[in-house]
Amino acid sequence: MIRKEAISIVAKKIGSQPIISANGFISRDLFEVCDKNSNFYMIGSMGLASSIGLGVALKNTKKKIFVFDGDGNILMNLGSLITIGITEPKNLVHVIFDNSSHESTGGQPTATNKIQLSKIAKSVNYKVFQVKTKNQLVKIFQKIKLIPGPIMVIAKIEKSGVISKRINIEPTKIKNRFMGSLKK
Amino acid sequence: MNEIVQKKVFNYLLKNKVQNFIGVPDSTMKHFIDQGFKKNKILITTKEEEAIGIAVGMSMSRSNSLVFMQNAGFANSLSTITSLIQLYKIPMIFLIGWRGFLKNDAPEHTKIGKIQPKLLQTLSLQSKILNEKNWKASCDWALKLIKKGKPCALILIRDFID
Repeated sequence: MIRKEAISIVAKKIGSQPIISANGFISRDLFEVCDKNSNFYMIGSMGLASSIGLGVALKNTKKKIFVFDGDGNILMNLGSLITIGITEPKNLVHVIFDNSSHESTGGQPTATNKIQLSKIAKSVNYKVFQVKTKNQLVKIFQKIKLIPGPIMVIAKIEKSGVISKRINIEPTKIKNRFMGSLKK
Repeated sequence: MNEIVQKKVFNYLLKNKVQNFIGVPDSTMKHFIDQGFKKNKILITTKEEEAIGIAVGMSMSRSNSLVFMQNAGFANSLSTITSLIQLYKIPMIFLIGWRGFLKNDAPEHTKIGKIQPKLLQTLSLQSKILNEKNWKASCDWALKLIKKGKPCALILIRDFID
């Protein structure tokens, strides 16, 4: 399974619920396969998608909030896991598309094939699920519907070399339409 | 700034619908943060950028946020301010403790204390220095700016040596 396939599966599964997506190829893939007003494409500020997602989750407790993160992104902001752990948002689903590399910057390795991110997340009160196939990914999103968060789904993906187009929406427009979608 | 006024500043901002106070502690603003804890409104994060990220999520949910930090943390936050706050035009109040203001402050604060005003200026982040006399007018100024959708900074001078 490559990132674009995994993102397509998850994005379609969760419909119009808010997604905060990490910078780089993750946001570009999401934009290409399933652009929606309820997607917040974080195009800069690497590492902060889960923090933004936490803020949205704490203020919108009746909605389920999804964070599309990468392994490189979350490793840059491991402290975010601590804060999510202590605030325990029941409505936060943190998806890590993990290819053990910084694919957006040329495929340099990250540490996720040497350490266990799942153990770190478990130790800070996340419920953690790991998947490797498309079938497992579909099933896990069925399963977590009724489980209170914070939930982490680690989707192991392969490096693909597939590059989606850049996001061509003005950042303020990305924000405004996302804010509009939160009102509904 | 003395204890009483720091507490007043907190109460005033809270009363004027700043709902979230997120950040990394600084002894310069100890009493402000203590008052926030008393009101159960403080979220301490592991780093300043994280606090800004959370505040962005809350601001986009139409809930006003203040992010507090020492100027060392402000230096950490430069990229987040340019590529998140200013890029998306997210309103929020920064409360920044100005270490290195006094010449005999600890040496690790000297450089950042010196370049802080120019950094704020270079960033085009509007700011006002709080004191015991102007605090209410400065808070009103900040509240007005976030209402207009703009970020801004309130600066708290470290006026004592411990």
